[in-house]
Amino acid sequence: MIERMQARVLSIKHILTVCLFFVAALAAAQPSADSGKTLFKNYCAQCHAKNMKTNLTGPALGGVRERWDNEEDLYRWIRYSQAMVAEGHPRALELWDQWKPTVMTNFPDLTDDDIASLLLYIDGMYEGTYGVQAGVAVAAEQVSGVKKEPNKWLYIGLAALLGFLALLLSRIVNNLDKLAAAKEGRLVEDRTLLQTLTSKGMILFAVFALVILGGYTTVNRATNLGRQQGYQPDQPIHFSHATHAGLHKIECQYCHDGARRSKHSVIPATNTCMNCHTAIRYGSEYGTAELSKIYASIGYNPADGKYFENYDEMATDSIEMIFKTWMGEQLVANDDDVEFLGAEENRMVDKQWEGLVKSLTNEQKTDFRGPIEWVRIHNLPDHVYFNHAQHVSVGKVECQTCHGNVEEMDVVQQMSPLSMGWCINCHRQTEVDFDGNAYYTSYVNYQEEIDQKEREKVTVADIGGLECQKCHY
Amino acid sequence: MKSNSKNVWVGQKDLTRDEAFIKEAQQEFTGSTSILDGLSNAEVSENVKGGRRDFLKFLGFGLGAATVAAGCDVPVKRALPYVVKPDEIVPGVATYYASSYVDAGDYVSIIVKTREGRPIKIEGNSLSDITKGGTSARAQAYVLGLYNTNRIKGPLSMDNGASMPTNWSALDKAVMSGFTGGKTAVLTSTIISPTLQKVVEDFGNKIGGVEVFTTDAVSYAGILDAAEQDFGQRIIPSYHFDKADVIVSFDADFLGTWVSPVEYTKAYSEGRKIKDVNKPSMSRHIQVESHMSITGSNADNRVLVKPSEQDAAIAYLASKIVGGVSVPGAINNKAKKVLDKVANELKAAAGKSIVVSGSNNPSNQRLANAINNALGNFGATIDLAHASMQRQGSDKQVDDLIAKINSGRITSLIVHDCNPVYASAKGEALAAAIAKVPNSVAVAYEINETSRLCKHIAPIHHGLESWGDAMPKRGHLSVIQPTIRPLFETRAAGTSFLTWSGNDLVKTAEQPYFEYMKQHWQEAVFANQTEMTSFQPFWDSALQDGVINVPVGDAPAYVGSVAGISGLTKPSSSDLEIKFYEPVALGNGQHASNPWLQEMPDPVTRTSWGNYLAVPVNFDGVRTFLGLNDLKDGDLAEVTIGDKTVTVPVLQQFGQMPGTVALALGHGRRDAGPVGSGVGVDVNDCCTVANGYTHYYNTNVAVSDSKGKEAHYSSVQYHHTYGVEGEDAKTGETINADEAALVTVSYGLVDQGFQGALTDRSVMYTTSVNELKEDLDRMLEKRAHAQHLNENQIYGGFDYQYENGHHWGMHVDLNACTGCGACTVACMAENNVPVVGKKEVSRHHEMTWLRIDRYYYGDAENPNVVYQPMMCQHCDNAPCENVCPVNATNHSSEGLNQMTYNRCIGTRYCANNCPYKVRRFNWLDYTTADIFPGNQPKIADEEIPFGADNLTRMVLNPDVTVRSRGVIEKCSFCVQRIQEGKLTAKLEGRRLRDADVRTACQTACPAGAITFGDMNDKGGQLNAKLASPLNYIALEEVNVRSSVTYTMKVNNRDDSFDAVS
Repeated sequence: MIERMQARVLSIKHILTVCLFFVAALAAAQPSADSGKTLFKNYCAQCHAKNMKTNLTGPALGGVRERWDNEEDLYRWIRYSQAMVAEGHPRALELWDQWKPTVMTNFPDLTDDDIASLLLYIDGMYEGTYGVQAGVAVAAEQVSGVKKEPNKWLYIGLAALLGFLALLLSRIVNNLDKLAAAKEGRLVEDRTLLQTLTSKGMILFAVFALVILGGYTTVNRATNLGRQQGYQPDQPIHFSHATHAGLHKIECQYCHDGARRSKHSVIPATNTCMNCHTAIRYGSEYGTAELSKIYASIGYNPADGKYFENYDEMATDSIEMIFKTWMGEQLVANDDDVEFLGAEENRMVDKQWEGLVKSLTNEQKTDFRGPIEWVRIHNLPDHVYFNHAQHVSVGKVECQTCHGNVEEMDVVQQMSPLSMGWCINCHRQTEVDFDGNAYYTSYVNYQEEIDQKEREKVTVADIGGLECQKCHY
Repeated sequence: MKSNSKNVWVGQKDLTRDEAFIKEAQQEFTGSTSILDGLSNAEVSENVKGGRRDFLKFLGFGLGAATVAAGCDVPVKRALPYVVKPDEIVPGVATYYASSYVDAGDYVSIIVKTREGRPIKIEGNSLSDITKGGTSARAQAYVLGLYNTNRIKGPLSMDNGASMPTNWSALDKAVMSGFTGGKTAVLTSTIISPTLQKVVEDFGNKIGGVEVFTTDAVSYAGILDAAEQDFGQRIIPSYHFDKADVIVSFDADFLGTWVSPVEYTKAYSEGRKIKDVNKPSMSRHIQVESHMSITGSNADNRVLVKPSEQDAAIAYLASKIVGGVSVPGAINNKAKKVLDKVANELKAAAGKSIVVSGSNNPSNQRLANAINNALGNFGATIDLAHASMQRQGSDKQVDDLIAKINSGRITSLIVHDCNPVYASAKGEALAAAIAKVPNSVAVAYEINETSRLCKHIAPIHHGLESWGDAMPKRGHLSVIQPTIRPLFETRAAGTSFLTWSGNDLVKTAEQPYFEYMKQHWQEAVFANQTEMTSFQPFWDSALQDGVINVPVGDAPAYVGSVAGISGLTKPSSSDLEIKFYEPVALGNGQHASNPWLQEMPDPVTRTSWGNYLAVPVNFDGVRTFLGLNDLKDGDLAEVTIGDKTVTVPVLQQFGQMPGTVALALGHGRRDAGPVGSGVGVDVNDCCTVANGYTHYYNTNVAVSDSKGKEAHYSSVQYHHTYGVEGEDAKTGETINADEAALVTVSYGLVDQGFQGALTDRSVMYTTSVNELKEDLDRMLEKRAHAQHLNENQIYGGFDYQYENGHHWGMHVDLNACTGCGACTVACMAENNVPVVGKKEVSRHHEMTWLRIDRYYYGDAENPNVVYQPMMCQHCDNAPCENVCPVNATNHSSEGLNQMTYNRCIGTRYCANNCPYKVRRFNWLDYTTADIFPGNQPKIADEEIPFGADNLTRMVLNPDVTVRSRGVIEKCSFCVQRIQEGKLTAKLEGRRLRDADVRTACQTACPAGAITFGDMNDKGGQLNAKLASPLNYIALEEVNVRSSVTYTMKVNNRDDSFDAVS
């Protein structure tokens, strides 16, 4: 379902994109809080809080303009912070003393407009004015064309105008015809609307339009069969990548350790979770409800911090008892509102246990012990060979390039279409690191062309990245 | 009458210009291209009903189904991670373990490839001093045996042949109560595991007076008993064929089945490769036999003697070399004169020769020992210190056992891993005896003819699931380590014996046999070596290498003499004799339930699924080759051997001695599961028994005239031949390439090759060492001519495209190739090639990507043979690519001819246009990859197609697509291995090396005949091979720019042998 909805949204998007192209091109020229938002997401959000009020890895950015004496220095700071520290700029030193050893990343590529946009967005967020509809100064500053509403009406207006013109012209032609006919002495009867609509030409046109439209939809739908862009299924555990990869900055490949050396990125084994969760036994969001699932899967007794012996042979009842007792204790210990275990609290614990069993079992797997059956999100057809190591270790492709900003997702969804066209596009555009890897010295012709400056770059397609048997065998 | 030709032929039909064959050969697909035509009426009506209306209904349904399918949600796929991930496993990356393939006495040191903890492929272990990285077809198919649907899944108690599941404790209790001292016996196949031998010994000591009887599937009692007399030990000497200049084999099939074929092939092929064209030298190999064995087919000269003449023949040779030997009777005159020459050759090569005999008559074997001793070969080419332990069976012991059971002296019997009720001439008597034993238990992998007679069955692990060790030869130890947790409720044979002998380890250890083995190694192996000082590192390194060499004692001395050798068989006066031989793939039936081996064509007869009577071929002097009794290929004949009559299909076999016929053992298993039961006929009971020894021939035989046609004649001999025709330049007639090449013998008539007509085809070049110079010049001239023609074309070359990056190529040394078929099975395993069954093979539908073409050349009555592994040649100017309407097959920048299954719509134009006939079409859904079961008609009356059940599917290579119905497939040069090798090089940031990419056929080959590599890598192994002037390209004149290079086949034939009459 999702995928089809996505397709619909996509096609609308396409039309809009075309319509908006012209106006958007105009808009890009000036700083705006909207483009600031995109920039913030891409460059700043890793270290700075979005609300601009709390400190994260980096300081809260709200009111940053006031803290710098002149804007030029601020712009320079954003681009070359460490250089300014080295130069001994007073504000820079002040920041360094406060935040060292954390270093602010250099962003030399940001233009003045970019930074202006960023500051607009920062101010907007800090003051709470960004995103609020009418009557706000910041909003007023925005180029009106970026907003979708007026555009839609503009185009409807245009269409209506053109339609009206067409009608007008046809009337004129009609009248001229009639006049000409009258001059020649012929009598021309006016066709009724029904006659016009049921005329051969109209019907032909309608059929033609239907065939085109139908064919287009069929082909589009057919190509999208089996594709799952936007697929965001519920998982047995409410595992949040935003918490783990985003907030706590755990490297993707710490858990997905296959990505660098195997075709599979590998869903981490439960014992990988246990590396941290022997210590962290109470979750910030769900308390014991979710964490207990990994303990139940692997056979870890969170109450005494030891693994169960002979976990497979233990009676389910006694495991349930141990877990429920622990859940209850944790509830009392961690929830400020709970002083002792009453009926209400016991119900909560029961519910937690029920949830645990439900998410760890299914028709095939009736025991909650054993592997956690995650729902696979990124599915390639059987006849496609994809290798993570090739892309991650050799091609040095960032995980986010294909998977999107997973570190911001509470529930992971498939960002890319994973279609062949999508793969091919990337292979056409991506440059191969020819100098960095001695393997490529066997491409003697390309090496020579590069040496003689006849060739600027070698793309994946140049070394056969579009050939069938690179991915299908 | 002779028909001597320098050219090659594949069988009688192309020698005689059989019209039907020529017509058939001109077409890519035989008969009707409607798949239903070959099926019986019942099958057709079952599968297809109705006509146009139904077609429309199906069409409507199809559209509807597609619409519904489109509207459905994509099914939820789950991803299961490990709970606790083992360190050595990275999902998606193969893990390799050193282990050993041991099947009774058969042994190959192997590396097992596992993916996600599941063994999927066998590779050779190059660290082994015995097999040196080579494998055999049987070793390659070993992995499929693990996923055999016919294996026993848990302990059974048997009641008159019917099995009932039981549990281990009940079985142990029942069995152990019956063991009584002095009345318990173990009947076993050869045990080459020192640990298991000790366990059985312990068991004997515990129960007291347990007798062990050993039997082999094919008896080697003759050679063992001879050794006992001549060397004082029951051993098989270790032969070093690489050190021998002259090899004389009396019916010993040492390249196919005899004792240790992988080891021998490795050594033998060393002496057969031409290293220097200017000073060509190679070993001389003379085979004395009646039927064309794979060893005989590789020999330079074959001396034809009847099976009953073998003893007299070796005695005659011994009389010439040793002297003082009385020849039991006259052998045929020709053989006699030739043996005189052989004697001279041997004397000239004293100390550098080997004489082996395949006879099971100890007297015959003693003569072989005497000859080798007289020639001074012991210690030179034959090593007695590192003697082989691979056969230990005794014919007398089997008789002894039967007698003891019948007289009630044995009341408990353990049958361990053997099937003598089938694979023995004494099967019937043994069956009757076993049925009488009150307490019998089979320690067995499958239910077979023997284990079904026992009261209990204690199923054993597959070798890939269990611990173990092996000592195939003295001084060479090998480890078996498990590569997967046991799939079923089976138990190691050693654990069963330990349990029954009440060993404490059974109670204390999780894996008792493993602990016992480790202990044994510490005491017996570790203690006797000096390299390592502590046990754990020693053990770890043994496990990692898979093999370890230990010191051996002194070589036993030859103490025999020819005096007093009696019991040689007198040649029979019978007009017709029949030879029974062990087939390369199936052994004596041990591998009958393995579909890969059933489908692998026999190297010489090129038949699969069943045994075929090989009848001699007679040349009438004009142009016709007649089979015995006018029997033709595919006729059914009744063969009466003694008082048993069997009906078997016939095969006209070139090189079969007139007055003899031959039939393979190992077929006609009665109890080998759905795959192997009833395929072919069983002739084990037709063997002659003399002095208690089984002899694999019979002189009392009669063959009838044709009794009709075999319904599914599954010989691949005439499949995928180069059936091409063209206009003869001189006469203007349209002639067939095959006829032009052969019987017309008018080589000069068509020696001008021309584009588009392949009359001057260059599939095969052969010569002998003596004529090498002239023939090589002639070949080079022909090549130059072809290359000249190729240059004169309107389309320029595109070779420059492949200078960049890699350009993959292959070299096949036809002088090394013995035709053993290991590569064929390795290819099936690596590339998920389906098994299609007998009926489909008979319809030319076999799917093998790599076939081994067998060509005869020379004297039609005693020809030489050349084997040519033929796979996709990855032509850089490929004719298949141009004709594909959907571009499903196209060329890569690395010179690969790519096949994209998902684009293929099955027009089969490419197969039609392939000059090498290497493209295969999925006529049916052989792998059940289709989602609609209606696409899966029964192929061979089986319940589900081979490999379609979930157990067998576990063997599939996850990196290779399983093809569905209606697409073409072919050799990909193991593109998955190429990609993997490239990735390894990239990850390590270095250039690609030869070792990074090795194709499945290359690693499987025991002879080192196949070399794969990057033609752009100037210093690589491939380019070293490509430098040889002996190389040629098959069908070079058609300018397809093939990437596979063959070498000219050179033999060391002495033509003066033929002149003798």
